[in-house]
Amino acid sequence: MRSGLLRWINERWPLSPFARLALEEEMSGGSSYAYVFGSAALILFMLQVVTGIWQLFYYVPTLGQGYNSLNYLRTEVPFGWLVHGLHYWGANAMVVCVMLHLSQVYIWGAYKRPHELQWITGVFLFLLTMAMSLTGGALPWDKRSYWLVEVASSAAGTIPVVGETLKRIMLGGGVIGQLTLSRFFVLHVAVASGLLLTLAAVHLVALRKVGNAGPWDDGQRKNTGPFWPDQVFKDGLFSAFVILLLVALSIYAPPPFAGMADPLDASYIPKPEWNFLFLYQALKYFPGKLEVIATLGIPLIGTIVLLLPPFVDDSVERRPRKRPAAMAGWVIAVTLFITLTLAGAYSQPEGFAAPQTSQSTPSTSAALSPSADEKAGSGLFKSQECAACHSIGGIGGTFGPDLSGEGTKGRSGQWLADQLHNPKAHNPSSEMPSFAALSKEQIGQLVAFLLGLKEEAPAPASTGLAPSAAAGGQTQSAPAVTGPHGEPGIAVTIIGSPDHGAVLFEDSCASCHGPRGTEMVSNPGSTHGKVPPLNPINRDLFSPDPKTFVGQIDLFLQHGSRPEGPNPRLSMPPFGDTHSLTQQQIADIEAYILNLNGVNRATIHHPGIDPDLFFIIAAFAFSLIVINLWGWWWFNRLGKRKGKEAGE
Amino acid sequence: MEETGIVTDDDNGSGRRRFLIWATGILVSFSGMIVGIPLIGSIIGSSFRTAKTNWITVGDVGALPIGQPVNLKVVDNNVDAYVREPVIRHLWAVKHSNADVTVLSPICTHLGCQFNWNPASGHFECPCHGSIYAADGTVLGGPAPRRLDTLPTRIENGRLFVEWKQFRSGTSDKVPA
Ligand code: HEC
Ligand code: HEC
Repeated sequence: MRSGLLRWINERWPLSPFARLALEEEMSGGSSYAYVFGSAALILFMLQVVTGIWQLFYYVPTLGQGYNSLNYLRTEVPFGWLVHGLHYWGANAMVVCVMLHLSQVYIWGAYKRPHELQWITGVFLFLLTMAMSLTGGALPWDKRSYWLVEVASSAAGTIPVVGETLKRIMLGGGVIGQLTLSRFFVLHVAVASGLLLTLAAVHLVALRKVGNAGPWDDGQRKNTGPFWPDQVFKDGLFSAFVILLLVALSIYAPPPFAGMADPLDASYIPKPEWNFLFLYQALKYFPGKLEVIATLGIPLIGTIVLLLPPFVDDSVERRPRKRPAAMAGWVIAVTLFITLTLAGAYSQPEGFAAPQTSQSTPSTSAALSPSADEKAGSGLFKSQECAACHSIGGIGGTFGPDLSGEGTKGRSGQWLADQLHNPKAHNPSSEMPSFAALSKEQIGQLVAFLLGLKEEAPAPASTGLAPSAAAGGQTQSAPAVTGPHGEPGIAVTIIGSPDHGAVLFEDSCASCHGPRGTEMVSNPGSTHGKVPPLNPINRDLFSPDPKTFVGQIDLFLQHGSRPEGPNPRLSMPPFGDTHSLTQQQIADIEAYILNLNGVNRATIHHPGIDPDLFFIIAAFAFSLIVINLWGWWWFNRLGKRKGKEAGE
Repeated sequence: MEETGIVTDDDNGSGRRRFLIWATGILVSFSGMIVGIPLIGSIIGSSFRTAKTNWITVGDVGALPIGQPVNLKVVDNNVDAYVREPVIRHLWAVKHSNADVTVLSPICTHLGCQFNWNPASGHFECPCHGSIYAADGTVLGGPAPRRLDTLPTRIENGRLFVEWKQFRSGTSDKVPA
């Protein structure tokens, strides 16, 4: 029956010859666990193709929806978290396996004649794997993606003569935009992956043509063993283990939610994925004009060095002990890679050490970059808690006048310095505290900062739905409508990054709500007398369901709110309406507030199977299989030995 | 042996061989299940999601005239999977008091045309097949199989909210579409 069907097919299509080409091979030296990395890389690539295609059922490569569509897959689609997790960790595992495979082949001397072509295709497969890792990183269109595209294109831009053109081609224009994302998308899902597939086929056919190189020891090569099923079993065992590992990583170390890409957010501190950290670190040693050495030189020289071995080393000697120079080269390369990677991982990103404070001083310097004095003044404005009484660009208290346009009021520097030294000089009943304790220099910095404030005070929220929300003294007599009004903003549909939200919170919210939202800042003139804490948050706003929870607090962030009371000194500023925070930033802050209250913004709503349970079942099944196979094997061997002994 | 090419039985160590083939099969099936179940589950599972209805904020109840049907243009922040797009919807609202507003779906129950208010006659009139309804939505004439569909409403702090829903046309019962 089976052979009948096979014959029927074979008469019409060469199935058996194909199967024979794939599986029938006498391996010199027999099968070995040392060879499993190559086949694991192949199996991981197949896994990437399948999970990649699966993600395309949900993902769309657009600036507005790319991030949301991926997160829809991750939180709303049954098993979506696993499909994405397998792809994310599979990519990393594939890079690792390709590196290990390359190392194994090198140490075994298996690149030597007649395996040169295999080595060369192998090096390009490695480069393509890195390219897949790079282009894939752009697709989630989160903050890491944006930065990655920025750095990759700037690196291309440093290349002499053609750099600018290359950069434009890469971005699809002068700046990062929709066409950029489309380009990375097509490179990832069609071009680089297509090349990888084709080259892998060439690589494998070459393996069948010239056979495996086998052990480095001449004597051991004489014993041969079949590829099928001996080597396939070892490959299968290792790959099953790797897949189980990927499942565990997807569950216990899921890819982060890094927050939607946001060109306006300068407070994000970026770092590349681990496999590009060495380049990132190397870049730091070549500042200014030398940069091109790192951006173009290192990858180029690295590739050439990788391609050289079969050509410079034409001896037939394969034992590592007899190839000290080759081995030293390998040790140096690996040490360099690991050292640079670790240095990169533990380093502070340059120029980003102090998160920018653009949030609390919006567009004070849209045209001119602020002087050092102004910057220092901006810092003092925060550290001296001026914002508790004064708002700038819609952020801050309403007890004192809005200072958004202080630089346009015609106040002299001396007048402002006097105001800070002794507010009663200008208004005997002034309620502003004296800041005479500040040094002359600090007062100078504050004055420089105040003179630089040229913005119009933000118009009251234009929706007309939040009459009392706008900051500024003039609205204090408005009827005391309390609580926020209006529609939730776009931010509620974005799954933000709690980590980045924490940074933004300290910048924009902590002055009123206290560090980590715990401290009660006093708010004279309001019924409660204090600004409400956010950690723990008011039970009326709390909900264990992240979408409900986020919808409740979003109204406050978008439209602001004036607390109950005759004349509250502090009101919640309308961050969304005044655009003092972008929707992406608001989403990040909201994710952080949810986190403070023990709710995960990225809760998986439809897991399919509970992740923990899935892992337990998979791990249990795997252990059962391995134990049984091992037991079976062991008994068989024992039986055979007994039989032999009995025969003797 | 010739045909399959794979099953080349060498007598020595064929027990070991059979064992390895079995073991490989089991391991591959294991990997296949671990990956296959999520892949199939993700496609099937997402096909059975329920359509969500959405509460639309209409605005202040106080602004509506009493007893007079008004055509409201409201923005429904429609969410379809991960795409949130505002859709403009037309609704008919009749206020009885500040605490009681009837909101009517703008879709004629006969064949789904959009009807109009005729201030002269004081009726809703459908231009397609001449169905006529009173201001409260009851059928006065024409082929309409049932009264106009009312939509769920909620009034909070003087503000009106409506839940957008669609119903099948042509049936005498109000059946959600
Ligand atoms: C306790 C609340 C409070 C704090 C804190 C505070 N101010 Fe004031 N500030 C006021 C009030 C109220 C006024 C209104 C005029 C007055 O009463 O003196 C004012 C007036 C001013 C003015 C004059 C505005 C004008 O052009 O009329 C400036 C400038 C100013 N403050 C800067 C600052 C700076 C800078 C800080 C931080 C170092 C600060 N204030 C801290 C309450 C405060
Ligand atoms: C100028 C001071 C001030 C700043 C800055 C400020 N808030 Fe508020 N916030 C308030 C006040 C006052 C209230 C109370 C409003 C009310 O009672 O209606 C409030 C209320 C809230 C509430 C509702 C809490 C409740 O229990 O009613 C949330 C949520 C909130 N703020 C979040 C934030 C976030 C997030 C930030 C930073 C982006 C921020 N606030 C920045 C003053 C501030």
